[in-house]
Amino acid sequence: MASISSRRLAKELMEIKNDGCPVGIDLVKADDFSTWWFTIEVMGESLYPNEKFTLQFRFDQQYPISSPAVQFVVTDGREAPVHPHVYSNGHLIALILSCRYVHPFLGNEWSPVLSVVAVCVTLQSMLASCKEKQRPVDNDRYIKHAPENPKKASFPLNA
Amino acid sequence: MSESNEPSSQSPSHISTLSAAQVYELNQNLLDLTADVHRPLIANTAPIAELRAEYERGSPSFVQQIDYLESQGYSSLRRTRGDGDCFYRSVAFAYIEKITQASDPAIAAAGALSTLDATPQMLESVGFEKMVFEDFYEVLEELVKSAAKPGFSLNEEMLLQAFQNPETSNSIVVYMRMLTSAQIRLDPDNYAPFLFHPELGEQMEVREFCEHFVDATGREADHVQMTALSRMLRINIDVAYLDGRGSNGQVEFVKFQPDEAAKLSSPICLLYRPGHYDILVGPNR
Repeated sequence: MASISSRRLAKELMEIKNDGCPVGIDLVKADDFSTWWFTIEVMGESLYPNEKFTLQFRFDQQYPISSPAVQFVVTDGREAPVHPHVYSNGHLIALILSCRYVHPFLGNEWSPVLSVVAVCVTLQSMLASCKEKQRPVDNDRYIKHAPENPKKASFPLNA
Repeated sequence: MSESNEPSSQSPSHISTLSAAQVYELNQNLLDLTADVHRPLIANTAPIAELRAEYERGSPSFVQQIDYLESQGYSSLRRTRGDGDCFYRSVAFAYIEKITQASDPAIAAAGALSTLDATPQMLESVGFEKMVFEDFYEVLEELVKSAAKPGFSLNEEMLLQAFQNPETSNSIVVYMRMLTSAQIRLDPDNYAPFLFHPELGEQMEVREFCEHFVDATGREADHVQMTALSRMLRINIDVAYLDGRGSNGQVEFVKFQPDEAAKLSSPICLLYRPGHYDILVGPNR
């Protein structure tokens, strides 16, 4: 029997293909059950007009019990949004993706109740509610020592 | 969470000087930093004397309470990993184990399944997508059904194996969380007055409380969650509070009895120590 992880991702993918993604979010590739790419744009008035970002999801065998590893893609000319919770290497400071840290805006943690599309929507609204385009204060320090997988990074509690 | 599982070399009176919020924060921090990954998700039963030995150096009030439990016929316990899911895992294990130990497991399983059968629809009615819960439900349903299969009996060892398998065990834990969350969301008027942020002490909205402190993996359960799960599963849960605070070395039992019918059946017993739940094996075994 297929693992819970692949069964669940197959269902999520089917739903995306049947119903489409919410406005401003598009599936770029999902060729397997380990890495998916989406693009997200902020709709309406925001600090990010005409900017399109690429989000990468990586899943392990424990998904959806464990969170996906989520980051913005910063290769081939793609850039991470300038936002107080997004490092320039594409990593995020977001509780929802790192299990236990309290994110001031998302105010939520990872739970198997969430889905890939739900994470995209949360990040889209994180950008939409941004008041000032700036990098996290510890950006330079973080990217120097950041692990390749953002799930392995440890963020300070009050980041 | 090995730290708070292990006896403290300090007097337990130190804990009692902390506020509930401080104790919660302390526990959650320990959970976050030191989830004791070397302990099995759930272990075989062990004599309560083993626990007593761990407290002998330094915590006389805990030792006294353990002796009290033993004198009341609670001779052993089944320990769980301190990962914040211990309450849900303990309840789920004891719930299914109780079916296997019933005089007629097939009838007991049918009873449990009639309760469980109704739950997917309840989850949908509070807004959980079928997609996010059906795989977890299937794991639980299959295990309960296997307790009633003719010519096959789910024994303790197989049940333990299932619960030590992370995928099976965590799937069931997730479903227990969803049941708890759904019960609170279905009956907001009843629960709203009791929904407080465990650290800040502030009143919380039903949805916010459930998202933070029920749905999220690794978040410890407290009184509200215990009440809700006992109602959802229609089971009696007795929780023995081993906290070094009992008068005359006695142990307070908090009883969760959802309805008259459940009162008649023997309870699932849990042992609570600050920040952690294990299964307590009671005198009725």
